[in-house]
Amino acid sequence: MRPDRIKELTLLGIIAGSVIVFGLLVDGYLSGRFFNRVTTSVVIVAILAAAQALVIFSRNIDLSVGSTVGVAAYLTADFLASNNWANPVVAMVIAMVVGAVLGSFNGLLVAYGKVPAIIVTLATLALFRTLISLYSGGANVLAGDLPDWVLGFNNVTLFSIAGFDLRLVFLITLAVVVILQWSMRRLRAGRRLYAIGSNPDAARQASLAAPRLIMFSFVGAGGLAGLAGFMFMVRAGTISATAGSGLELEAVAAAVVGGVSIFGGSGTIVGAFLGAILIDTLELSLVRVPEVSEFWRDAALGVLILAAVILDATLQRRFTRRLTREVRGPDAADRQTSQVAMSTVTEGGIGDA
Amino acid sequence: MSEGLPILEIEGVFKRFDATQALQDVSLSLRRGEVHGLVGENGAGKSTLIKIMTGIYPADQGVMRFDGEEYLPHDAAHAQSQGVAAIYQEPSIFPDLTVAENIFIGHQDRGWLVNWKAMTSEAGDILRRLDIDTDPSMPAVGLTVAGQQAVEIAKAMSLDTRVLIMDEPTAALSAHEVDRLFSQVRHLKEAGVAVLFITHRLDELFATCDRISVFRDGEHISTRPRADVTEESLVREMVGRDPSEFFARSEHPEGEVMLRVDSLDLAGKFADISFEVRRGEVLGFAGLVGAGRTDVALSLFGIHPADGGSIELEGETINITSPHAALAHGIAYLSEDRRGLGLSLNQSVSANITLATLVRYTTRMGLVDREAEQADALALSKRLDIRTPDMETPVENLSGGNQQKTMLAKWLNAQPKVLILDEPTRGIDVGAKADVHKYIDELARSGIAIIMISSDLPEVLAMSDRIAVMREGRLRAIFDKKEATQERVMESAVGVS
Repeated sequence: MRPDRIKELTLLGIIAGSVIVFGLLVDGYLSGRFFNRVTTSVVIVAILAAAQALVIFSRNIDLSVGSTVGVAAYLTADFLASNNWANPVVAMVIAMVVGAVLGSFNGLLVAYGKVPAIIVTLATLALFRTLISLYSGGANVLAGDLPDWVLGFNNVTLFSIAGFDLRLVFLITLAVVVILQWSMRRLRAGRRLYAIGSNPDAARQASLAAPRLIMFSFVGAGGLAGLAGFMFMVRAGTISATAGSGLELEAVAAAVVGGVSIFGGSGTIVGAFLGAILIDTLELSLVRVPEVSEFWRDAALGVLILAAVILDATLQRRFTRRLTREVRGPDAADRQTSQVAMSTVTEGGIGDA
Repeated sequence: MSEGLPILEIEGVFKRFDATQALQDVSLSLRRGEVHGLVGENGAGKSTLIKIMTGIYPADQGVMRFDGEEYLPHDAAHAQSQGVAAIYQEPSIFPDLTVAENIFIGHQDRGWLVNWKAMTSEAGDILRRLDIDTDPSMPAVGLTVAGQQAVEIAKAMSLDTRVLIMDEPTAALSAHEVDRLFSQVRHLKEAGVAVLFITHRLDELFATCDRISVFRDGEHISTRPRADVTEESLVREMVGRDPSEFFARSEHPEGEVMLRVDSLDLAGKFADISFEVRRGEVLGFAGLVGAGRTDVALSLFGIHPADGGSIELEGETINITSPHAALAHGIAYLSEDRRGLGLSLNQSVSANITLATLVRYTTRMGLVDREAEQADALALSKRLDIRTPDMETPVENLSGGNQQKTMLAKWLNAQPKVLILDEPTRGIDVGAKADVHKYIDELARSGIAIIMISSDLPEVLAMSDRIAVMREGRLRAIFDKKEATQERVMESAVGVS
């Protein structure tokens, strides 16, 4: 089995396990209400985790997604406040275009400016935030000024079985995850993005058009952050200049817990999505256990991230060892002395042939 | 089949880097379905030729023809698409992607989508054809070097490669893996591919090659069918540069033993290394790249401490576990990797010179005495004739020769008893080279015991009082200056029986 699949199944198992444990601990835990709460609250971080994974695959990172959410949410809400005719589709497109524009700014600097992504997006994290402050002049967009559909959007339910609702926002999130997962697996561009993160030097040698693909991944991540901004708006209603602050770290945490290697090259969109669900489930569940204070809830998240990283490293090592045994011949050691030929020395350097 | 006809012809190629003429009027012709061996000392121009063939460097002059048409690759991918590919000692693969993806990435011509089924089964076909036993649907992360090379060979096959260059592919392989590699090479040969096989191991050369070419100092010396070549004739053609261009060591009396090394071992790197160096003596270390000379040096300097054996300094047994300990005992090491390990490139000349000995300039307050530091740096840079605008210039702005002198100054400032020089003149111009040789002689006369690792045979012969030769992690011979000739040293280095 592919290691990515193993990771996804492990996560699914952990999610199921923790739901069972909490079900035993907390009375009335396994209810439609709780399911509905998780599936509506997870959408923002789930979409952002997918966005984050998209850039982490190529050994980059986007710390500006939280600010992008803020800009997209604010501009979209502001537009809706003065254009009450606009429907959800128009609003969603506006939010995603705003996000994509901001993402292309990151992408240009990282892909063509060759500035490390962590620096670029740390800067734009602050810059984008300033942008809304300037634009808003400190004023909030009030929920009362928005079209009527906005506040109901979060609760639009497609169908419901025994109190378990399938909400529209969750369906949109699922669609995003499925489309992205398919693209990363089946599109050539997707595989190349993994390749770039897996070994940037080899990618350059193979002429994989890395800058263009990295640019696309940042535009995509920005567009998704814009969609998350739309989700933020329909949930919050009233939008301030601080909308979405801090979401970037939740997104990175969800992706990493979901098995996306921070060094690029491995992990899946589905994994990042499951990571977001696990974190959200735990957060919402721990609230129900009165013995656990808020302080310990944060600690639990920290422990979870570390556990995910350690598990990932262990799995990777196991896997490597097993494969190595399979491939190596039985007499790999019979020329030990010749192995010394591979010292740190390599022929090369200018003028040395 | 047009077997035996030339597929790639190289005519009159020149290439120059700064002070070094890397290739001079080189012509070589590769035929379809032949395995063509290429040998030469380090620095003979083999790697430069490969880089020109694969489009990494342009030639200064000369033409290449591929299948009769002019061939002008502008980068590695372009060369590949034309049918010329290279496999190196350390293959570059994508560890997280599957074996099949590694084979096809960069040239899947299936539009936007990846057809996993077709890709995996085609990869399986290619691997089977080459007798490579690897599951194409598994990630490449667990492959050994041999497995990675096999994947690169499969990739070359999937690209319809006509000329495959293999640059010391066996250096990191076990005997079993080498056999398998050779059988893969035979498959390539049967498919009409021309293989250019570069190795330092003469037995491999004779076992696989149809024709063998010798390079020396950037020139093509000979190309002969295997039957017409003997080990002796190869060695004779590989060496033969005139040592008289070098600085002649001055006569000096023999000093007492400074450093004695007894049966030093380091698993996987070298074994049973025993030698001694006297005060005022230069002990040359000859051998091919990868013979383990640098590993011995790194052990003596405490970077990779040895597993077994003993080291005596001035008659006392010492234990070197870190570079710090080595320096405290008076052993200094000038790295061959000037840019990577030797210098802090963005720091000033004076900072680099005093870096290893900063303790000496530290005042009671724990601060660095900048004036004393500057004064010593200035004195040393005068003594070694380091050409720099001033002491505060970042080292990266200096020429290679002056960087090398800065590194020498750094270790001289440590006032060592034993100085290990690793390729002290690699990649520097003739003038700076002569300077460095002069200082080595001066240093020896001042009573320092010097170990000089060099792949430049005439240099070793000219500068050393005795010459130790290593091959495959073992010390094969120690020659006295009087009895050492280029042929004898080279024969020990390549293992002519």
